[in-house]
Amino acid sequence: MAQLVLKNVFKSYDNNGKHKQNTPYAVNDLSFRCEDGEFVGILGPSGCGKSTTLRMIAGLEKITAGDILIGDVRINDLLPKDRNIGLAFEDYALYPPLTVFDNLAFNLRARKVPEAAIKEAIQRIAPLLKVDDLLHMKPQALSGGQKQRVNIARAIVRKPGLLLLDEPLSHLDGKMRQQLRFEIKRMHHEIKCTTIIVTHDQLEAMSLADRIAIMDMGVLQQIGTPLSVYDDPANVFVAGFIGEPPMNLLPAIIQKTAGGYCFTFQNSTLRIPVPTRYDEVLHNDMRVTLGVRPVDVVIDPDSELSTAIPVAVFENLGDERRVGVRVGENLLSLTTTDAIYYERGDIVKLRFQSEKTHLFDATTGVRIRSRHITVPRF
Amino acid sequence: MASIEMIGVTKRYESTVAIDDLSLRVEDNEFFVLFGPAGAGKSTTLKCIAGVEFPQKGLVKIGGTIVNLIEPSNRNVSMVFENYALYPHMSVYDNIASPLRSRLHRKSEPDIKKAIDKIATLMHIESLYDRKPNQLSNGQRQRVAIGRCLVREPNVFLMDEPLAHLDAKLKHTMRAELKEMQDAFNTTTIYVTHDYLEAMSLADRIAVLDHGRVVQLGTALQMYYTPGNEFVAKLFGEPEINLIDAQFYVEGGKTLISTGIGLTYEAEPDVAAALQTQEHNRLHLGIRGNNVAFSFQGGGEGWLRGTVFANEPIGNSVIMTVQLGPEQIRVVAPNDTNAALDQTVYVRLATANVLYFGADTRRYIVRHNQEQVSSVAHLRRAGREGGEA
Amino acid sequence: MMANDQSQPLASGNLRFRQGTAALSWIGRNLALVCFAVFALFPILWMVTCTLKSDAEMYTTVFNFTPTLSNYRAVLIGTDYFKAFLQNIVVAGGAVLLTIAVGVPAAYGLARYNFKKKEDIAFTILSFKFAPEILVILPVFLIFQKIGLYDTYFGLIWVYQLITMPLLIWVLRGYFEDISVEIEQAAQLDGYRWYEVFWKILLPLIKPGLVASGLLAFIFAWNSFTFPLILSGFKIQTITITSLRYIASDSVHYGHVAVAATVAITPEIIAALFIQKHLVRGLSFGAVKG
Repeated sequence: MAQLVLKNVFKSYDNNGKHKQNTPYAVNDLSFRCEDGEFVGILGPSGCGKSTTLRMIAGLEKITAGDILIGDVRINDLLPKDRNIGLAFEDYALYPPLTVFDNLAFNLRARKVPEAAIKEAIQRIAPLLKVDDLLHMKPQALSGGQKQRVNIARAIVRKPGLLLLDEPLSHLDGKMRQQLRFEIKRMHHEIKCTTIIVTHDQLEAMSLADRIAIMDMGVLQQIGTPLSVYDDPANVFVAGFIGEPPMNLLPAIIQKTAGGYCFTFQNSTLRIPVPTRYDEVLHNDMRVTLGVRPVDVVIDPDSELSTAIPVAVFENLGDERRVGVRVGENLLSLTTTDAIYYERGDIVKLRFQSEKTHLFDATTGVRIRSRHITVPRF
Repeated sequence: MASIEMIGVTKRYESTVAIDDLSLRVEDNEFFVLFGPAGAGKSTTLKCIAGVEFPQKGLVKIGGTIVNLIEPSNRNVSMVFENYALYPHMSVYDNIASPLRSRLHRKSEPDIKKAIDKIATLMHIESLYDRKPNQLSNGQRQRVAIGRCLVREPNVFLMDEPLAHLDAKLKHTMRAELKEMQDAFNTTTIYVTHDYLEAMSLADRIAVLDHGRVVQLGTALQMYYTPGNEFVAKLFGEPEINLIDAQFYVEGGKTLISTGIGLTYEAEPDVAAALQTQEHNRLHLGIRGNNVAFSFQGGGEGWLRGTVFANEPIGNSVIMTVQLGPEQIRVVAPNDTNAALDQTVYVRLATANVLYFGADTRRYIVRHNQEQVSSVAHLRRAGREGGEA
Repeated sequence: MMANDQSQPLASGNLRFRQGTAALSWIGRNLALVCFAVFALFPILWMVTCTLKSDAEMYTTVFNFTPTLSNYRAVLIGTDYFKAFLQNIVVAGGAVLLTIAVGVPAAYGLARYNFKKKEDIAFTILSFKFAPEILVILPVFLIFQKIGLYDTYFGLIWVYQLITMPLLIWVLRGYFEDISVEIEQAAQLDGYRWYEVFWKILLPLIKPGLVASGLLAFIFAWNSFTFPLILSGFKIQTITITSLRYIASDSVHYGHVAVAATVAITPEIIAALFIQKHLVRGLSFGAVKG
């Protein structure tokens, strides 16, 4: 059990044409801290450097520059086996000729732990991941979900200071995935082991992790609780990556009207008022990227500054209804659980929930905040 | 434009039965969705209609004509394949032009150009004409495949999971775009999917398939509000519907429903009437996560005490799984809900929205206000016809 | 930011070091390749020089001799070598055409359809290539004599299928398996007949494999020695057999042999140079490489 600190970690590969890279660094100036007992998710699209980060922590990749500390110990130069890390890969990598029990015991035996202690450790861990009934079986007799459970059990049975999970659920089907998600979360709740999970599935990261570190092109974009990255994205990338259905991100031009600032759009007559809290940071003809989640767009016939627009798409999805309107080339969509029904071509007026409307710089993608507020350090 | 009919069609691959004595009728100009889990026989059904697979038994009719013995090329159907099946050695333009250059559907090159330009604008692929399929992203390939399908005016469009290989975000936008384009199709369409959102969004009618048989046939909202059995109920809705063991008994003229989770309540008169016709008194109560209220403070009448088993934020909401005695109930909570595992929580079921299923048959029996709910279920269709008039 | 500044010199130092090693490894790689090229091409060079030497100079190992074309004159004009050359083209070309005509449908069938003993049949076809020709030559010889195929074009073309067909079937089978059946179905639904589907869709996709394996089949047939040695007599002479004629029991005209061999490999070298791109790609890649 220990805290993990990454300080200005860089990683570059010898680039002789084998790795196609957009950036010189696979991981660029990465710093974050993972508290003792915390569950952190590293999330990003493929090639964002998340797996590289995990492999550097595990010691499977050398660090180009920077430091990694577990507890207070700098582990840059330690061999993987000396780092006291439990690692569970996406592929199960169980030893086929050994029973589940022997698989779990393998590491402990290699370290000359007495048999009695091994037995005790396995009996403590096995029920947590529901593998206690499988101990006598061989890996080939197990289902994918069971194999992954054994795999994770094997990673934690040695009481690691740090547990690393690399896309543990990506090979499993929907139902199994949900089940194992529950179990990983509950296992963490029981043993409170500092855990890092790497995933490209935002749902997985949000439902498992206490905090999520979102990476893109080797750079950490934002780190925070699931709610904070969802509600308070630092830039366009995070805004677009987190959330399902995705956030509406539309290029907009700010226009001053008699009633206040409005969003206007290229090739569209649509006009929607900007929440007044942004007034002091805006000017006429300013170009921004508007970000608003579908749940935060409301149909409001009384919105005085808004212009009316025809419904392009109406979908009744049972749990909720979605309405889409065309804004130039783009589709602006909203979802609602209210029992409203529209036809294609019906005319609506839209408004944005003030607190949930985000503005981003049109070129850099950085968030434009309404007032000078200090971002809470999570 | 034509109606499609399948009568008692059976297709076997060696020992496995892909579709089993399947009969269904798709009306002229209808958008019909075949929906079901993997291996339900959806794609095989499409391929039997297209004529690229041959059923061992049964008849396939297109526009009233039996087509069993007609070559696929002569059936005048147009299909989007799940893996897109673009011709790897041809440019995007030539791919889309391919049906118009075949002997059966030949048009002059200027006409082809016109047709392709029109469809490409619709699909936003005008800039890709010279690319080869392997230079396209998945989303672009899928648009090209749909473009190649739509460029003709066939009897029927067949679409086999066209959105299945797209990532979640692209899927969301493409679904909306397909929906928007639907009016332009203007012919009978049969669409295969395993995603209930696609099915509900696009379909005029849905056939739910399982093991090669039709489990239920109806509109999207019928599937959602009055599913024919538990299998269908579980397929529609996210999170999956909760099913709770229960039984009913009559006491002093009241029909009482008692559950294993400490909840007993009186059934509404219409529900009671329907339940009394049942042979067995064991039930499953189906209730969706958004019909369960929760509270962390104190209970009260109708509130059940449980513990938080899991609490999963998914962005715009939190799916909380509550352990209630032997059952686990999924509850949809607001997205700022913060609960520790194993914390005490109180839940209340909106019993007016419960769907009643027979515990042994797993078939739908009744729900409160069924008439009214079904009329809502028909609202969209009615509104549609009204709108066109 | 601080870390960024610190890491910069480190990174650029690394870079310079890396450029140095990169240049070294480039030189090393090319040196090795040159060595190999010399090693591989030397026999051909040696053979060509032999064609220009007179018999007297034949056994000197220095590249110092009086070039003469007398060997060429003797072989190309003095004997019926050209007839053998033409006959070889007919036999090898005919064998390749027959192989393609039969092998492409066979490969398609093995790739697309499921039938009993499919893998056994496929393996049997491949195993023809394993067995040494000498193993079957005697029974074939006897049969050919009985049914009148001995010393005929057709007999040779037929028996050459043993060495030309297996590879083509196996390579093309892989190609067909890589083409998803939906692509053919899509073409059918587009309104094409089966033969149009084959010409317009399948043929372009298997072309690299067809060219490569067809060329190899031609080379196998062209080089074949055992079969024409035993199964043909005076009417049909392939060049491999003809070349032997210059080795008599009393005297060996190495110059003549060298000329015969040089002319014999010329078409192969030309073909290989022409299609070498296809050759590598065709045998290593699948059809629908995404």
